[in-house]
Amino acid sequence: MRIGAAKESYEADAALFDTRAQRGWLVVLAAALAAFPFVADEYWLYLACLIAINIASATGLNILTGYTGLVSLGQAAFMGLGAYTVAILETTLGTPFVLNLLAGGVVAALGGIVVGIPSLRVKGLYLAISTIAASVIAHFLFANLTLTGGTSGLSVPPARLFGVALDTSFRLYWLIVPVAALMLLAAANLFRTRIGRAFIAIRDRDISAEVLGIPLLRYKLMSFGLSSFYAGVAGGLWAYFFRVVTPESFPLIMSIFFLAAIIVGGMGTILGSILGAVFMTLVPELLKLVVGWLPLSTDMGLVLSPVRTIVFGALIVGFLIFEPHGLAEIWRRVRRYFHLWPFRT
Amino acid sequence: MNDSGFDWLFLAEISLAGLGSGGLLALTGLAFVIIYKATRVVNLAIGEMLMMAAYVFFAFAAGAGLPIWAAIFGAVLASGALGALVERTMIRPMLGESPISTFMVTVGLASILVGIVELVWTADPRRLPEFMPTDPVLLGQAMVAPKVFYGFVVTALLIAAVLLVFRFWRGAVALRATASDQAAAYSMGIDVPRVFSLAWTAAAMIAAVAGIVVGAIGGISSTMGVFGLSVLVVVIVGGLDSVAGALLGGLLVGLVEAWAGAYLGGEYKMLATFSLLVLVLLLRPYGLFGTHEIERL
Amino acid sequence: MSIQRRTLMSLAAAATATAFATGPAHAQGEDIVLGGSIPMTGVFAFAGIGINAGISDYVKIVNDAGGIKGRKLRYVPEDTGYKVDASVAAFKKITGANKVNLYYGDSTGFAKTQILMAGASFATEINNPQKYPYQFLVGPDYTEMVVILLKHIAATKPGAKVAFVYSDSEFGRDPIDESRAEAKKLGLTVATEIMTPPGSVDVSGEVIKLRRADPDFTIFHGYVLAPIPEFVTQMKKLGMKSQFMGTFWTMDNSMVMKMGEAAEGFMGVMPFRYHYETDAKAPMLDKIRQMRPEYQSNAYMQGFLTAMLMTEATKRTLDAGKPLNGKNLKAALNSIANFDTGGIIGTPITIKGNSIPVGRIYRADTKTQKMVPASDWITVGK
Repeated sequence: MRIGAAKESYEADAALFDTRAQRGWLVVLAAALAAFPFVADEYWLYLACLIAINIASATGLNILTGYTGLVSLGQAAFMGLGAYTVAILETTLGTPFVLNLLAGGVVAALGGIVVGIPSLRVKGLYLAISTIAASVIAHFLFANLTLTGGTSGLSVPPARLFGVALDTSFRLYWLIVPVAALMLLAAANLFRTRIGRAFIAIRDRDISAEVLGIPLLRYKLMSFGLSSFYAGVAGGLWAYFFRVVTPESFPLIMSIFFLAAIIVGGMGTILGSILGAVFMTLVPELLKLVVGWLPLSTDMGLVLSPVRTIVFGALIVGFLIFEPHGLAEIWRRVRRYFHLWPFRT
Repeated sequence: MNDSGFDWLFLAEISLAGLGSGGLLALTGLAFVIIYKATRVVNLAIGEMLMMAAYVFFAFAAGAGLPIWAAIFGAVLASGALGALVERTMIRPMLGESPISTFMVTVGLASILVGIVELVWTADPRRLPEFMPTDPVLLGQAMVAPKVFYGFVVTALLIAAVLLVFRFWRGAVALRATASDQAAAYSMGIDVPRVFSLAWTAAAMIAAVAGIVVGAIGGISSTMGVFGLSVLVVVIVGGLDSVAGALLGGLLVGLVEAWAGAYLGGEYKMLATFSLLVLVLLLRPYGLFGTHEIERL
Repeated sequence: MSIQRRTLMSLAAAATATAFATGPAHAQGEDIVLGGSIPMTGVFAFAGIGINAGISDYVKIVNDAGGIKGRKLRYVPEDTGYKVDASVAAFKKITGANKVNLYYGDSTGFAKTQILMAGASFATEINNPQKYPYQFLVGPDYTEMVVILLKHIAATKPGAKVAFVYSDSEFGRDPIDESRAEAKKLGLTVATEIMTPPGSVDVSGEVIKLRRADPDFTIFHGYVLAPIPEFVTQMKKLGMKSQFMGTFWTMDNSMVMKMGEAAEGFMGVMPFRYHYETDAKAPMLDKIRQMRPEYQSNAYMQGFLTAMLMTEATKRTLDAGKPLNGKNLKAALNSIANFDTGGIIGTPITIKGNSIPVGRIYRADTKTQKMVPASDWITVGK
């Protein structure tokens, strides 16, 4: 039973992982992540990489929507910006992938700032709808500029690290997972700083935040830019992973997927981004298993895709109605139960 | 194409086609606005509700072989029932939550509806049984596609009917009262939850008619809901809570889409529509006729 | 079949991994695996189901006859719902669990993989043996299809006006540029080109443009059904004289007949015979009719033929005593010359490059509800 951890300094209080137990678990997690690729088969490695990319993007969206309260349905478009930037740089200049990923993030961030400009005039739903417009305009650009290869898109050569091509899930794992972990850490840290607190203040009551001296437009644009940077890097990783970038790769439904992921995971928490991304990526797999178990007719495979769509929608609706704080809240409740045991409250 | 100066007839024909599709957008926008006015919910699933009604019509007309009138009637009723069901199970529990959350619920609803349609009818695109006259209609020198013309007529009649009902029926007055001030409506003895159900049912029925016409023109498929995105532009341009705005916005967006498609090319249609959206958001965020929302601390 | 086509650069990535797994020939008697990323649900489900049935049937025929040189042919499909990521996932899953030598699924990025691949797309880009050494198309590519149509037009009405109506997608845009050039070479005028946005409801604006252009022939490409019937009905009612033509995926009999009255006279190019045809000796068609008396779509034919060609390539590779890898399988495929497909394709075929540029013009006869041949088998060169 753990009632609390006594802190003796400000740094200790603000630390991300404050107890020995937490730090211990962190080491275990790191070891597990490092050992995973050696024991997992091709398919699970593929899933792991995909989950890591989704976590990175969901974290970005969480910064914008969960922490700053600006609902965005444009996350896929920003990922697309990042992915295309990486693809174009890799095919025309052949610059090292670190540079490409950063460039992808920067280009996406610029795009995000542009899309965020209306945020001073419009709020809430109107802003969300303007991000849909951004999605449509981005799709148009991707499909009709020759630079982006038009509707056929671009093929991306694999990232190269010291001459070794990162072209299997096993190799890409070592690129994608550390980058995602780094981004998570950065996001968690962000909310210990002034900027992060300003974001939260804007979410809670932006007029009051302005009264308190937080320049709204600057911070809102910063939030857009940061979140889009995350999306851009995630998009770049996506490009190296799937090796093909087309205008159809980043549809509106993908933005909805990420929004659903942070709703299900828990808006406004880093853990929520992780849980949400993992959950939403694995649900289709789970469904496949369940449908395989059920003693129904052999053509159940045909039912899988529409059932997946229904479950997706039902998850969103269900979590919003019954558990608006998402899986992170459930996790916290479970943790609290174990911390307080044998007491109840 | 441009022989003797500007081809006015071409412009006229294109514009008429645009007005025709604009009528449908206006009708769906009307359904959207009714929901927003009464319950303050931005219903992104309006396109999917439209799709569901079209499929139910298909089931009645082609599957069960009912006469067209019965099928239309049945589809409208079924859609109304669906609207009431959705309101009761998904919207009512969200009362008091932030509008973003309710918005996301409608996004989830859209997904569920698409899934149901794909489950029952598969994702194959289909055609509805023909029930409209097929000869092109001549307006002066300009030819209009028959389905577009008759669709527009139906739309105009329905909108006129709805406007009249809104003006004179007690229930509609209750709706307007609830829309402007919920608390006052409660204290006047208006059964507000009943009004909510009524709003969703009515909107769903209007969307059903729009769905049948849209399906008759372009066939039905599980991706029909994308029509809802254009409707979103319509209501933003017109104002989320303005009926007149939905009508004018619908016609405007229809025209813009038609002109963009004709003079620029098919790929510019969506771009033009959404550029209009961005323009309106920057210049007049509450739309042409929407009420300016005053934020209270 | 736009998505399938570029589905999978990552197939290349993944497949290079399997390159290590696929090494030299393994012990005798081991199953030969034909993997598949098939869109059995989603918008192309009708095609996916047909393809799946076609491949399964041919695999059954092969195994009933003792397999390929005594080795069983095993078909491992996964549904992709016509989504890119599901397609990649399916590939990874199948190749992770089996040693795969043959794959149906399409990929534009297959540079170094060791798997012989075919798919549901006839994208022009894939018809490039340098760029895609291990892939092949089971039929003509989209450009070749349109060229077959144009040749027929030029033969029946020289100097005619042609209109292209295509969808705003990778699938739709694929053959347009080259076809425009070919039309000019054949002395035809391209009266207008219309691109329709995906999910467009009302096409009356486009019909107005077509009326101005007044083409003799209108070629549709990039659609499965909608919005062709709308175009055709409106144009016919306006008294336009245009004849209507389509490419492979519009040519399935059941799809065309769904157009109702508008279907009468609809023409197009098909590389394969239809299920019901009896115009010539076709032992394979008879066998198919025996196995499946009810109508099977052109997707079924495509799947069936893919399995046939892959089996033949495998047989030839094993006969030559060579290990089963992409290079040898493709070389064996390219050695196929004057091969009799049992009547599925009307002439003996030779696979020189990546495509089989043969086709016949068919026309819809609504009285018999069938597509009937309207020309001889045409081969185009490249």
